[in-house]
Amino acid sequence: MTQKRTQENFLWHIRARQVPARALSVVYTFCLGGISFLAFVVLAVTGVLLMFHYQPGYSDGYHSVLNLASVIPYGAVLRNLHYWAGQIMVITVALHMVRVVWTQSYRPPRELNWVVGVSLLVITIILDFSGYLLRGSQESGAAATVAVHILQLVPGIGVGLAAAFFGHPTALSGSTLMIYVWHCVALPSVAFYLQGYHFWRVRKDGGIKPL
Amino acid sequence: MEDENSVLTRRNLLRIGWVSIIASGLLSLWPLSQYLTSSEDSLQSDIITLKISPLIGNQWYHIENTRVWLKRAGQGYAAILATCTHLGCEVAYNSSQQKWFCPCHGSVYNAEGTPIAGPAPRDLARVAVKAVNDTLIVNIGKVVGMDRQIL
Repeated sequence: MTQKRTQENFLWHIRARQVPARALSVVYTFCLGGISFLAFVVLAVTGVLLMFHYQPGYSDGYHSVLNLASVIPYGAVLRNLHYWAGQIMVITVALHMVRVVWTQSYRPPRELNWVVGVSLLVITIILDFSGYLLRGSQESGAAATVAVHILQLVPGIGVGLAAAFFGHPTALSGSTLMIYVWHCVALPSVAFYLQGYHFWRVRKDGGIKPL
Repeated sequence: MEDENSVLTRRNLLRIGWVSIIASGLLSLWPLSQYLTSSEDSLQSDIITLKISPLIGNQWYHIENTRVWLKRAGQGYAAILATCTHLGCEVAYNSSQQKWFCPCHGSVYNAEGTPIAGPAPRDLARVAVKAVNDTLIVNIGKVVGMDRQIL
């Protein structure tokens, strides 16, 4: 029965058939990875909805955020959900890493998943930062300026990297089309696939059996 | 695992969970439609104001970034909307041929905006225009007849 179900339905397929008892203990994981993924799903849904009214750009970015937060029906709810899910995700991802260190889950055979996890941490922080820039406020302009200058310090490729990621933000607004595309399409896609791989490795490395 | 005496069995709890998810999904449909259909962030004013210019003569003169064309008519001004009455494409006035041409399906209107060829069913709309001192105020939301075009 179970075999048949796992072949028929992807939802049954990704469900665990066996879980080690200690992995079910809440104080072992504190559900931090799961909460991070939940935040990611909330961010994806609210983010797509925000894209329907947000306009990137030097003058449009800030005004479209103001419109969203003030006159668009339920725009403020979506914006706040997106903002707080983002804040929570950064915190839970960081705490998730602390937990992995605490339980020594980075040790063999899980070195590869540790590396994947650290990549996801970095992507999460870049996503959070680029979201802050897309608000298009004066602070975001200052933040973008600082970030551009730091990135340009990388020898050889720094100037090109900064242009490819940030475009040309001004000191008064960090919202550019470049950052918009990285924030809404490129980085979330990479994060999504890495997360799938991350979860699959958890099972592969013996967290949940079989697989 | 299941306690038969418990009101909240595992099965009931999961059922409550599913019902809540479906209910909150349905409840969010109305707010979602409100959000997606909102046009609060687009320019909504039907009023266009501009300074009276000597360029506005006896031929139709295009007001940039709008579909309004103006010309002097009698003692006042006439305003016409360059929107084809067939399917809404923007038509343009050719001053040498004194005709309006629609690029989409080949409708042709004469200088007064009356269709003479193609699928266009009606005259181009005239809208209200008013001169106040040295300013012209055009209300593209207020369609007027040919007889009341000059205000």
